[in-house]
Amino acid sequence: MSLAFLQPWLLALSLLAVIPFLRTGQKALTYSSVALIPEDRLSRAVDWLIRCAAAASILCLAIGLAGPYAREQWIEKFGTGAHIVLLLDRSSSMNDNFSGRHMGGGVYESKSAAARRMLSQFVSRRQDDLFAMIAFSASPIYVLPLTQDRAAIAAAIRSAGGRGHGLTNIAPGLAMALSQFAGQPVTGSRIILLVSDGAARIEEETREQLKHAFRENQVALYWIYLRNPTGARLAQKPKNLASGTTPEYFLHEYFNTMGVPYRAYEADNPEALKRAIADVERLENRPLRYLEKLPRKDLSGHCYAAALLGVVLLAFAKAGEISEWPA
Amino acid sequence: MIFHRWKRSGSFWLLILAALALALALLRPTLRLPQPVYRYVFVVDITQSMNVRDYHVKDLPADRLSFTKAALHKVLEDLPCGSEAGLGLFTTQNVQLLFEPIEICEHLSVINDVLAHIDWRMAWAANSHIAQGLYAGIRETQKLGDETRLVFITDGQQTPPLPQRPVFQGKPGAVKGWLVGVGGLGPAPIPRMDMDNRSIGFWKKSDIAMTRVGDAGASGANTGASRRADQDRELYLSSLDETELKALAGITGLRYHRLERPGALSAALRAPEFGQMRPVAADLRWVLATWALAAVLVPYLPSPRASSKRG
Repeated sequence: MSLAFLQPWLLALSLLAVIPFLRTGQKALTYSSVALIPEDRLSRAVDWLIRCAAAASILCLAIGLAGPYAREQWIEKFGTGAHIVLLLDRSSSMNDNFSGRHMGGGVYESKSAAARRMLSQFVSRRQDDLFAMIAFSASPIYVLPLTQDRAAIAAAIRSAGGRGHGLTNIAPGLAMALSQFAGQPVTGSRIILLVSDGAARIEEETREQLKHAFRENQVALYWIYLRNPTGARLAQKPKNLASGTTPEYFLHEYFNTMGVPYRAYEADNPEALKRAIADVERLENRPLRYLEKLPRKDLSGHCYAAALLGVVLLAFAKAGEISEWPA
Repeated sequence: MIFHRWKRSGSFWLLILAALALALALLRPTLRLPQPVYRYVFVVDITQSMNVRDYHVKDLPADRLSFTKAALHKVLEDLPCGSEAGLGLFTTQNVQLLFEPIEICEHLSVINDVLAHIDWRMAWAANSHIAQGLYAGIRETQKLGDETRLVFITDGQQTPPLPQRPVFQGKPGAVKGWLVGVGGLGPAPIPRMDMDNRSIGFWKKSDIAMTRVGDAGASGANTGASRRADQDRELYLSSLDETELKALAGITGLRYHRLERPGALSAALRAPEFGQMRPVAADLRWVLATWALAAVLVPYLPSPRASSKRG
C-alpha cells in the first residue's frame, strides 16, 4: 500500500504539535509557597499525558487536513478472455457503404460506421478482455494502449466512426499493433483484430520482420475484410498475378504462411461482419490472468478518529482544571 | 473531588465543540455546491513544423509538439474532477478524433498515455492547411454536443501558402473554445527527421517546393517555379503566425491564447465562461478539522491578562 497526500503542504501544520511541549495550556495560579509542595510523580505524569494528548491531537488533525490516501491498487484476478488489439482501417475508402447484397437495415451505413457499431457491441460483451486500439491509414495512429478502461474504449470506438483520410498502408499498422504486446504478460489469448477494406503490398524485408514479431509475441490474427462486391476475393487466385492489382489475395497468402493462428472473414455486408465478430467471440476464451484496479482509499477519517480521542481526553483534563484554589 | 465545579472555562467548551465537530467529521458530511466543470476536445497539430525547437523554458521540452504535450498534461492535472477531455489530431486539412471526451480523473492514466504517444509520424499527409483544419475541428466539436469546447493547438504554419483564406461556413461562436498558438515569433528552421525519428538536418526551401510539385493536384498551389536556385538552398523557416491565427479566431468566434507557459494555458482554460456549473459534492471535513485544531491550540495562546499578572 503506498501512501500519498492530496495537499502535502498542509503537513507543515504538524509543526504546531511542538507547542504543547513548549508552553502550558493550563491557567497558572498564584500560590505563595510553591517551593513547599513536594515533588509529585503522579502530577508530572498527568502533565505529560496532557501535553502528549494535545500534541497527538494536533498532529492527527494536521495529517488529516493534508488528506492522506492509499494509492490505487491492482489486485490479480482470473477469468477467461483475451488481449485484443483492434487495428482499424481509417482510410478514406472506409467512408463508402457496402454496396451490393444487404441483409438488414443499414443500407446507407458506411463501412466504418457498421464496423464501429459491431465493435461497440463486441467490446461491451467482453467484460474480462483488455483492449487496445490502433487506427491506420497512410500511417498508424496510437489511439489507446491495452487497457480495461471500458469507458475509454467505448469513447475511442465511437470516434472511429468519423471520416477517414488517406491511403491504406497496412504494414506500419501491424507493427504498431504488435508493439502493444511488448512488455505485457503472456496470459489468455493475444489477438490482433484487423478490420479493413483493402490491403497494400508489403515489402519482403518488412514481411519477415512482421512474421518474426507475430511468432515471438504469440499473436493470433483475425482479419475482417470488408469486401466490396466487386473487390477481390481472398481465396480466389487472380488471373493477373501482378500484386499491384490484387494486394488482398497476396496479403492473405502471406498471413497463411506466418505460422500463427490466422483466420480471415470476408464480410461484404453488415450481417457477415456480425457473424465474423461472433466467431472471434466464440473462439477466444482462454484462461486470463488480469489485474483489477481498486480505487484510491481516503485515510483522513482514521486521523480524525484518533484526533477525536485526544480531544476528548483534553476536554476531561480541562474539566478537571480549577480556576482558583478551593477554599 | 476536583470535578465538583460545573462552572467551566471557555476553553473547556471549545474542546467539547471540537470533539463534537470531529465526531461529525466521522460521518463524512458533504455539501453539494455548484462548481464549474469543463468538456474540452483538444486537437493537436502534428505537422512537421511542430518539431521546431523554439521553446526555451527550464525543465520543459524545446520542440513545439513536446511543449504542447507537457502543457496539456498540466491542464489535465488542473481541471476539476468531473471535467471531460477528448483528443484529436490535425494535419493536412482534416481532424481525426482519437476518442470522444471522457471524465479526466477516472481515466487520467489512459488519457496521459495516449497524449504521450502523440507523434508527428502519425500524420497521414504532410501538408498543413490551418483554416480548413480549424473549420473541420469546429465541425467535429459541434457533433459532440453543445457543451463541448474546442482547443485547437497549432503554430499556424501554412504549407504550402494559400493565396486566399477559405470561407468559414459555420456560425461564428456556435462552438466556443480556444485557438492556441505555439512556437516563437522569430523564424526558426524545421528539423527534418526520418521515420525512426532521427534527425537528418533541416527542411530547405527546395525540399518544400518539391513536395509541393508532388501533390500539386491536391493543393493546387503555385509551385514558385521562378524561384532562383540559390534561394532554394536556404532553410525553410517557420514562426508562429499570430496575425493569421488571431484573424481566424475572430472569424470563428474562438478566443486566442499564445502558449508560453503551461500554467497560463491551464488558467485560461479554467475561465468560468467555458465551463458549466454542476453541483459537485464538496467534502466539509476540512472545515470541522480546522475548527478542532484551533480549539486545541486556544489554551496555548498567551493569555491577554498574562502581562498584567502579578508574580
